[in-house]
Amino acid sequence: MLRTSLFRSTPFRLALGFGTLFVSAFLAMGFVAYQLMRAELTAELDKSAREIWAIVAATDTDRELEDIVAAVDTYSRLSKREDRIFVLLDPSGRRLAGNFSKPPTSSGLSLLSAEDAGVDGNANYRVVSGKVNDNWLSIGLSLAETDRLALIALKSMGWALAIVTVTAFALSAMLAARIRKRLDSIADTMVDVSNGKLGARIPLTGNGDDIDAVSSQVNSALERLAALVEGMRQVSSDIAHDLKTPLNRLKMTIDTAIGKNDKGKPVTDELAEARVESDRINETFDALLRIAQIEAGARKSRFAAIDLGEVVGSMAEIYTDVADDDRKSLVVKGSLSNLHAISGDRELLVQMFANLIENAIRHCPEGTRIAISAANLGNLVVTEISDNGPGIPPAERDKVFQRLYRTEKSRTTPGSGLGLALVRAVVDLHGAALTLDDNRPGLKVRIEFPVRA
Amino acid sequence: MRILVVEDDNKTADYTARGFSEAGHVCDVIVDGQDALFQAMRTSYDVLVMDRMVPNLDGLSVVKALRAANVKTPVLFLTSIGGVDDRVEGLEAGGDDYLVKPFAFSELLARVNALSRRPPVQDQKTVLAVADLELDLVKRRVTRRGQPIDLQPREFTLLEILMRNEGRVLTRTMLLERVWDLHFDPKTSVVETHMSRLRAKIDRPFDTPLLHTVRNTGYSLHAPH
Repeated sequence: MLRTSLFRSTPFRLALGFGTLFVSAFLAMGFVAYQLMRAELTAELDKSAREIWAIVAATDTDRELEDIVAAVDTYSRLSKREDRIFVLLDPSGRRLAGNFSKPPTSSGLSLLSAEDAGVDGNANYRVVSGKVNDNWLSIGLSLAETDRLALIALKSMGWALAIVTVTAFALSAMLAARIRKRLDSIADTMVDVSNGKLGARIPLTGNGDDIDAVSSQVNSALERLAALVEGMRQVSSDIAHDLKTPLNRLKMTIDTAIGKNDKGKPVTDELAEARVESDRINETFDALLRIAQIEAGARKSRFAAIDLGEVVGSMAEIYTDVADDDRKSLVVKGSLSNLHAISGDRELLVQMFANLIENAIRHCPEGTRIAISAANLGNLVVTEISDNGPGIPPAERDKVFQRLYRTEKSRTTPGSGLGLALVRAVVDLHGAALTLDDNRPGLKVRIEFPVRA
Repeated sequence: MRILVVEDDNKTADYTARGFSEAGHVCDVIVDGQDALFQAMRTSYDVLVMDRMVPNLDGLSVVKALRAANVKTPVLFLTSIGGVDDRVEGLEAGGDDYLVKPFAFSELLARVNALSRRPPVQDQKTVLAVADLELDLVKRRVTRRGQPIDLQPREFTLLEILMRNEGRVLTRTMLLERVWDLHFDPKTSVVETHMSRLRAKIDRPFDTPLLHTVRNTGYSLHAPH
């Protein structure tokens, strides 16, 4: 069978997409966090530099130069030149105190490299400068610590990124493989089905997810398909069986006729018999075709609003005299007016009721009373055809609707065994429900039609 | 009467053609749908008997094309497609009648006769009469020899159709379609029952029967010869 490679499979591509998206999001977040952290640390450094500058500047009181010189010297002595730099210049640019000599010439905050400041090392300094009386005071703090912290942050982010990337892609691949496995099981099932194993079903995980939902849909479609195929198989074997008998009879009749003809005897009876037999075969075929067509459901497009009271009424009108002639009676029970409309095909409904009424007339003994009724019942219109004849044993009630089924009693009476199968097909097409009940005595056929929406 | 039979099955074609000839009609047989369309446009036939499944152009399309070209020759569809929708399709395409195979030739002949002599639609007679039997469509009243006869509504329709087709044979299936609107063959004697009741009312009390049974075919209403 055709199987796509893992890398081209939809779940894998999806997983890859999500993984990439996740890693990109993480990168963006890391970048923002890093920038924020750097800005925050630099701001802290600037604040310290200003504070120290303010403290040193405050020592310059009463125009005593010695105090501020001493303060700058003390600070310079106490700090390493790599960390903090100080300088105090007189108005002529001569250094009065401090540990470096080239301060920036603009007042306020500035960034100064070690080289520009004339100090060793390669650190940058945040420098605060300003005039204290006539002298120039510059104080700088090294950015080395900030850079170190930033580097640590960068490193940990790098590690996190690596872990996130690996996890994201590993998880994606795992998920993809799992979904892939389930899709493969669906594909395998379909291959089985197309190879004729109609009993194959997609295994469900039972967690009710979307794949499960789709799988169970497919399973129920397979169920229906299997039932249909089984039905077809059944019909084919029924046809083979039930048509073979009359075909054989026909052949025997023709053989007899040929034999008689050879002896010069008249064959009129055999010809008439052959015609009856071939008519019966045709009738069975027609009925089967009709049922198949009804079951295919194309007729539904012609559905219209139907008043079942009118249909039942005209069926009763047609068959009252027919039943009468057969020494049975057909009566309408209750009123047939004010029924809700149903959605249906009049011609098929007429044939359905005709089959049911004719069945009652033909299979019941003389004197049988057949009653037909139609009434509203909530959201349904219920029709009933009941008789007080021999009824159908409960065990046979389901079977009578199968194609070509005939009860033991009815095998000897004429009929194709398709009348009730057609009834069932019409009932199903109309979304109605049919039940056979004991009429004590007799049979009650109850059909419930949904009211037209 | 001149009849065109469009049929691709040799045996069926021979069977129908021979039947029509024996009944005194002139009959042409064509196998191909396109040829049939050409022939039907060129020649004036009284009836077309059209198989639905013929080579090159199916029967339904032939009739549609004929109707589009304003050819009004009555068409009877003959088909082995006995399905429920096919009849409706055939009539919608412009067919006038529909007969499912296998058929008895007497049935086909009766239907073709009915088609060719179908009274014009504007026939607005309100009183039908056959011999001394009269049927008043407006007053819904039937009399024979002046005596009123009481008929059930369905019996009235049955008699009306028989009288409108005076002298013609109406088959069981034609009656089932036209009187009862039943397009299938009931297993019980719907036609026979109603026919015998009608006969009891219009014929039995009188000495000359008007309603005749045509053996193996159907019924016919006509005055004594």
